[in-house]
Amino acid sequence: MNDSLETAQNAKSLRRVAIEPLSRVEGHGKITLLLDEDDRVRQARLHIVEFRGFEKFIQGRPYWEVPVMVQRLCGICPVSHHLAASKALDQVVGAVQLTPTAEKLRRLMHYGQILQSHALHFFYLSSPDLLFGFGSEAARRNIVGVAAAYPDIARKGVLLRKYGQEVIRHTAGKRIHGTSSIPGGVNKSLSVDERAELLNDIYRMVAWSRDAVHLVRRFFEQDLETYRGFAAFKARTLSLVRADGAMDLYHGGLRATDADGNATFDHLNYDRYWEQITEEVKAWSYMKFPYLKALGPEDGWYRVGPLTRVTRCDFIPTPLADRERRDLLAFDNGSVTVSTLGFHWARMIEMLHAAESIKDLLHDDDIVGKDLVVKGERRARGVGALEAPRGTLIHHYRVNDDDQVVRATLIVATTHNNQAMNHAIREVARRYLNGRALTEGLLNHLEVAVRAFDPCLSCATHALGRMPFSVELLDASGETVAQMVRD
Amino acid sequence: MTEPAIRKLRVATTSLAGCFGCHMSFLDIDERLFDLLDKIEFDRSPLTDIKTCGPCDIGIVEGGICNAENVHVLREFRANCKILIAIGACAVTGGLPAQRNHLDLGQCLQEVYVTEPSVTDGMIPNDPELPLPLDKVHPLHEVVSIDYFIPGCPPSADAIWKFLTDLIEGRTPKLGYGLIQYD
Amino acid sequence: MKELPVFLLDGAEVPYRPGQSVLQAALAAGHYIPHLCYHPDFQPHGSCRVCTAKVNGHTVASCTTMADSAVEVESDTEELDDLRRTLVQMLFAEGNHFCPSCEKSGNCGLQALGYDLGVMTAGFRHLFPDRPVDASHPDFLLDFNRCILCELCVRASREVDGKNVFSLAGRGITKHLIVNSQSGRLVDSEIALSDKAAEVCPVGVILRKRIGFVTPIGQRRFDRSPISKQALEDAPRTGAGCDD
Repeated sequence: MNDSLETAQNAKSLRRVAIEPLSRVEGHGKITLLLDEDDRVRQARLHIVEFRGFEKFIQGRPYWEVPVMVQRLCGICPVSHHLAASKALDQVVGAVQLTPTAEKLRRLMHYGQILQSHALHFFYLSSPDLLFGFGSEAARRNIVGVAAAYPDIARKGVLLRKYGQEVIRHTAGKRIHGTSSIPGGVNKSLSVDERAELLNDIYRMVAWSRDAVHLVRRFFEQDLETYRGFAAFKARTLSLVRADGAMDLYHGGLRATDADGNATFDHLNYDRYWEQITEEVKAWSYMKFPYLKALGPEDGWYRVGPLTRVTRCDFIPTPLADRERRDLLAFDNGSVTVSTLGFHWARMIEMLHAAESIKDLLHDDDIVGKDLVVKGERRARGVGALEAPRGTLIHHYRVNDDDQVVRATLIVATTHNNQAMNHAIREVARRYLNGRALTEGLLNHLEVAVRAFDPCLSCATHALGRMPFSVELLDASGETVAQMVRD
Repeated sequence: MTEPAIRKLRVATTSLAGCFGCHMSFLDIDERLFDLLDKIEFDRSPLTDIKTCGPCDIGIVEGGICNAENVHVLREFRANCKILIAIGACAVTGGLPAQRNHLDLGQCLQEVYVTEPSVTDGMIPNDPELPLPLDKVHPLHEVVSIDYFIPGCPPSADAIWKFLTDLIEGRTPKLGYGLIQYD
Repeated sequence: MKELPVFLLDGAEVPYRPGQSVLQAALAAGHYIPHLCYHPDFQPHGSCRVCTAKVNGHTVASCTTMADSAVEVESDTEELDDLRRTLVQMLFAEGNHFCPSCEKSGNCGLQALGYDLGVMTAGFRHLFPDRPVDASHPDFLLDFNRCILCELCVRASREVDGKNVFSLAGRGITKHLIVNSQSGRLVDSEIALSDKAAEVCPVGVILRKRIGFVTPIGQRRFDRSPISKQALEDAPRTGAGCDD
């Protein structure tokens, strides 16, 4: 446990070094280090420095505005919020089961965003570190440098992202902050021409996604010592899985595992997520620290996202991605599963899975259907969860009889990873920085660790929210006399 | 006889209290990025590892002002960039973060971090490393003088492309019907 | 057939029938003068001032100025368009017009006017007022954040519906829309789904509930063509010698 690096003794006598802002990540964050006179790191913290207040100002708004407003929390993964909010509001409007066309169009939108978000993260943001080296010359460590030295890789990255964005445009109405997903379904069908246009390029996208997986594998092979041990640690995990244990990024039940992969709970309905998960506040970050209630804040933190999803599902239901998953697990006695850099390999496997899933959906005739919206018995609350590119995302709304939102709670992926990211930078600080004169290249190693999580720090700063909770009144013999739930 | 090298325009970008959507829309120019890189190079930007803005020809700022640090960064950009562009609804009018302006900030913080029942030992985060939030969220032109504005949430890639190519080629940037959006 | 008299608008001859305003005659003849609070079905109001034009050198609202062959009208000038842009900026600054999450976006007269005039900047410090939302009625939502005081709902309710559901109260910067019911809430008023007042709001104040984002981007009213074009298409014609 390296929590001794969370808070140093005698902080005032130590020297402060800050990495500010974090670059090649989405959103605003900074890392601060406190070092003693022997250049040993005594404290390392990842600070989230901003907040928005969405859960407060959404109150009083009509519920049908929520999917369109909430996605403005993030410009990379707006579709995650657009869809998670829609799923929550499906429950509010009584849409127990969407039409096949609506569900598939939403899934198509979701896989489109997985594809573009993962492509953006890998090619535009992280590849410079992986291609040039973590301590390489700063001026070159960016997409421009990659375009100059590896034009083919850069071009494929741009076109993969472009394809994902086009899928989103055709399903959501525009590439960023679309409006098509609504409570009970979608407002836009896919035309035959749009489908043909997307089918044109999908095989290339599948092939290039697979190439990307192999590219990451080669990074591991070429520098195994570095890659297998970089911020390597076992962690509890959380993800959604399908009823049969398959990876399903759009819908599923909650699976939590301990650090060795044994289930803590499995196939749990996310409807009452707050019975399992709660949050801690620390003075030095606006982002809270979620943990499993039953285990407490010290032991109950967990990791979400691609590395968790790929290694903790039973299988991936698309063949090429599943084969890559098995290769990842078999590689170097499973060292990839504990290395923070394993995120990159897992992320490219998910990109491949997204491409394969898009291909399957485009071949399904329901995708051009016209039956788009359903409605049922109105309810007062709804919870929607899915696996966003960065991890498990939960939206929770309560709506009054006048159709106004009276309460909103969001738990976003990057928040779940707060403790894990802090843990990773402390591992890196211990291994690479202790006792050494700090150079820009060395400091970049800390950012490499954070980048691997693909944090969406804008999403993480949504919060001025309230966790739901329940209160039980027990009599002297321990029997429940009354119970109140606020959610 | 050697031809004089054409100096590339130096461009800095940042997202203040923005969602990054305008930066993503900029990247939605897709392969046109490679053509653009013939004419420009990046200074400080979320896409590069340059952490402070040096002398630049063009600065593109997304997001409004919601804390003290945003003010410092914006002033750094104004001081170093010959032309400063506010891009997106947040930069131009405050955008989504400004939806909190009719609320009382102190009350909100109190509610979230202290009185919230499911938080144990609540406290309002107050470490000196955290920049102080401003009472209200402000668009950029209320803090520094801005040369150009591109509205939209986000503006489309075509709008950004038209605007930048007009600017780079020495024309007064102009967006017509179909390229001006407020949503 | 008797030929109609004409007046000059930006140098062109515009026919008019006595009793028409400069704005009505201009629109009918295919000359767009920007406007916001004018509606062909109601008495003109002259409050938004967007239709301001120069008539024989004097600045007037063209919706309340009678057409007359003795006048020369200037409308399509940069000076007047600058004035109109400023008016649009003021309207945006006064309320809370958050286009990104407004269901009226793409069908909104204020927004479409901004696009058409090329309003690219905020221009003024936004007030961020604390305005209410009245969700009391089962079928309607009233979002006062977006009211531009055009009074179309007031006129429609009075002149067409024969009711009187809405009024403007207060003066100057405190002027605001109110509901004429005992409680002040819409649920206690006489508004009905079939009312003209229920559909006439050019912005996103009076909204039918649970419609929301029903039209995909690309198919909304002003996605298809700009407001200047649509205003001309919708304008009743001034037929020579015929009753329109």
